[in-house]
Amino acid sequence: MARFVGRRLLLSLITIWLLVTIVFFISNVLPNDVGRTILGPFAPQESVDALNARLGTDRPIIVQYVDTLIGVVTLDFGDSYVNDDPVLPQLAAAIGRSTKLAGLALLLTIPIAIIAGLFAARRRDRVSDRAVVLLGVTSSSIPEFVTGTVLVVVVGVQLKLLPVLATPPPNADIPTQVRYLLMPAMAMAIVYFGYIARMTRAGTIEVLQSDYTRTATMKGLTTSQVMRRHVLRNALIPTVAVIAVQVGYLFGGIIAVEKIFNYNGMGQTMLFAAQRKDIPMLTAGVIVIGIVYMLATLAADMTIAWMNPRIRLDADR
Amino acid sequence: MDFPKLDKVRRSAAPLQLDVVDAYVAGRLSRREFIQRGAIVGLSMGSIGMVIAACGGTTTSPSASGAAATSGASSGASSAPSAAGSPVSGGIIRIAGQRPVKVDPVTMEDLGGYGITSQSFEFLCTATNKDLVSIGPGLALEWAPNADGTVWTFKLRQGVKWHDGTAFTADDVVATMERLVTAGNSGLKGVLGPGGAVATDANTVTFTLLGANGNFPYLVSVFNAQSLITPKAYVAGTTFDKVPAGTGAWKLKTYNQQTGATFERNPDWWGGTTPLDGLEFIFFDATGPMVTAYQGQQVDAIIQFDVLSGKSLLDDANFNLISAPAALHRQIWMRTDTGAFADKKVRQALALTFDRPALIQTLFQGKAQLGNDNPIWEGYPYYDSTVPQRTRDIPKAKALLAEANASSLTATLHAGQLLEIPDLATLLKSQAAEAGITLNVAVESLNTFYGAQWCPKQVKPEDPPCFGAAELGIVDYGHRGTPDVYLNAALKSKGIWNSSQYGSTAFDTAFSDFQKAVGVDAQKAACNKMETILLDDTPIGLPYFYNYLAGSSKAFSGLYASGLGQMFFSAVSKTA
Repeated sequence: MARFVGRRLLLSLITIWLLVTIVFFISNVLPNDVGRTILGPFAPQESVDALNARLGTDRPIIVQYVDTLIGVVTLDFGDSYVNDDPVLPQLAAAIGRSTKLAGLALLLTIPIAIIAGLFAARRRDRVSDRAVVLLGVTSSSIPEFVTGTVLVVVVGVQLKLLPVLATPPPNADIPTQVRYLLMPAMAMAIVYFGYIARMTRAGTIEVLQSDYTRTATMKGLTTSQVMRRHVLRNALIPTVAVIAVQVGYLFGGIIAVEKIFNYNGMGQTMLFAAQRKDIPMLTAGVIVIGIVYMLATLAADMTIAWMNPRIRLDADR
Repeated sequence: MDFPKLDKVRRSAAPLQLDVVDAYVAGRLSRREFIQRGAIVGLSMGSIGMVIAACGGTTTSPSASGAAATSGASSGASSAPSAAGSPVSGGIIRIAGQRPVKVDPVTMEDLGGYGITSQSFEFLCTATNKDLVSIGPGLALEWAPNADGTVWTFKLRQGVKWHDGTAFTADDVVATMERLVTAGNSGLKGVLGPGGAVATDANTVTFTLLGANGNFPYLVSVFNAQSLITPKAYVAGTTFDKVPAGTGAWKLKTYNQQTGATFERNPDWWGGTTPLDGLEFIFFDATGPMVTAYQGQQVDAIIQFDVLSGKSLLDDANFNLISAPAALHRQIWMRTDTGAFADKKVRQALALTFDRPALIQTLFQGKAQLGNDNPIWEGYPYYDSTVPQRTRDIPKAKALLAEANASSLTATLHAGQLLEIPDLATLLKSQAAEAGITLNVAVESLNTFYGAQWCPKQVKPEDPPCFGAAELGIVDYGHRGTPDVYLNAALKSKGIWNSSQYGSTAFDTAFSDFQKAVGVDAQKAACNKMETILLDDTPIGLPYFYNYLAGSSKAFSGLYASGLGQMFFSAVSKTA
């Protein structure tokens, strides 16, 4: 298992290095220079040149790249080009907000979607199965910004049941925070319900048709025993993989949802940084999202390896 | 005419003030223009009222800032309380504002920053609740120029304290001006040099200018947003959230650039006790969610929105709409030095295809005024309305194109992705097509548009600014209390935003005359020249000036705005 984890970690580090490299070079080939973008189109050229010199963005690109890599290793991402404040605290605040939103969305989605998937699989081809499949396909076909807008108009503006802004007042208690985050979390949960429910259903059907499930049933185990001991563990393997990808995606921030609900999570922070060529913020943000993806995938791989020893043994060979 | 009353004012007036009084008495200034212009040259509100009364008008009109707002949706103020009940003390107002990029009072450049810093810091001359052009006493109680407008003396308000309890003095003003001059403040550049501001005594500051300037009070007013007065010890580069020590009605409690800011009442404010206990700003990146937040009852006021996002608010019976005419506009620049538009007949032809009333109706639901292809807005006291308005004339446009051998003209119209501009580009395309002009619309992100089309970086040092600009494009301009910036930067030869590469000795001379002019007649005469020259040369098309839109719930009354990101809440009260 240690070898398995070690290999996974090494792969993740290589991924992050590639990520940093790609982000750095893409940021530096975008039109306009950094000084001009920060000072705006109206600033005199001398001021732009002076700012570029101060920020070091007029140095050879390779020197800047090496500096960026050193910054990543030492976790010193420097100061934001936009407001001159250190990047890390700003990013940490955004990550905190995204974590709350993504956490609530996952909390709403995962249990309901898994239960719905299992329920549909056990009633394959019956009306209830068709209903779950139809609901799943429909919900995952509607983009978050449509669901979000409908929720805002109906639940927020017309019925006034929930706040239309996701940012709670300063020092709000947990129930208040949940109340503010509920609508955007629902907008995200509705989309991911479909993915997870259908994946769970497909995995469960496959396992239910397998020889070992039939054997377990034949040897006299009750349905719930069969489900608990033999079906669930194997059926949820693809679901866990899907959830891991969604975790990274949700933590990375759903820009459309954040915009609709005026929530300044990772999505808006990264968009803001990209628009203003705030390269330190952009680089640090991408790395953080990369690490979240990496951790989520690692956790999923380990969970899957725990659920299915064959995977663990294959990796160890 | 009550001559004894008039003479009383005349006797105490400086030459420049006398010029304004005489212009009003002779009927060359309207009452509104007289109040605006009188305030600029430092006539006291009492003197203005006395002159109006002497000429047969009512004496109730002039009021400075800081007091309760007047009613009227056509000014920068919200309507008087209309909800049932009377104003009560206490409570807070939640304001939807643009997210600030930077809150360094000296170097900030965004409307979000202007809106936040102006709650705690104050100007020598501030906005009034009458319109988006007038200025009134702020930290300066009165001001007056010398005879030729080269030296301005400002008398400061006494008994003002900084939030930390120390006294506000003339030294603070002098230090602020030095910081601004050092930082190259765009309003003061070329007007005030180092050492130009001197404290004559603890409550008087004298500004010796680099040349005559009849609009100087504007440059130390709300319309030069960085001219907020900061303490003498303030270090340039410090942001407002780090040292929130102003003199204003509100003290900063919390600030988070990601979410918002809160303010509490300053109990020692010179203006007295504010009706509200505090303010809560919620920051947004777009106006759409601001409108939704208002509809969802999560904010009470919106600092600025556009017609397209806030259509639903225009007819909302519970919304106190501020729809104030402003100098906000779009310029359609045409390269005068090269390409198809180098011939002025072609430029005139394109401008003749604009259906201005239709544009105003379609894009702004009528909440805009006609433009006449020059940036001198009708709200300025020196605007000359005698210059004929250009109207749509397709046969004339076709004839001009034929004369210029450009009957099958094809060009690319560049535009940035901002508010109504893409729609404007599409409408212009269809309107121009009727004269046989084919415009291909290219809409790009703002960053790309500004950097690649509007005013690209100079390639060779000897090139004039914006030399690489596209042949044709639409660019946005914000509200200003005077047109100097538009004229100086976009139209003067080698101006820093001169995308049309317009160069006219006649225009440059007229603009120079305007800057030097300290009397109303001279300014109007210079404006007439500039308007006439620009109408003929047509380096830019300017189809409309659109209204500044803001507002609040009818549960609040008394707020007013500058049109430049600042909104004032010292007189705002909640209705019981």
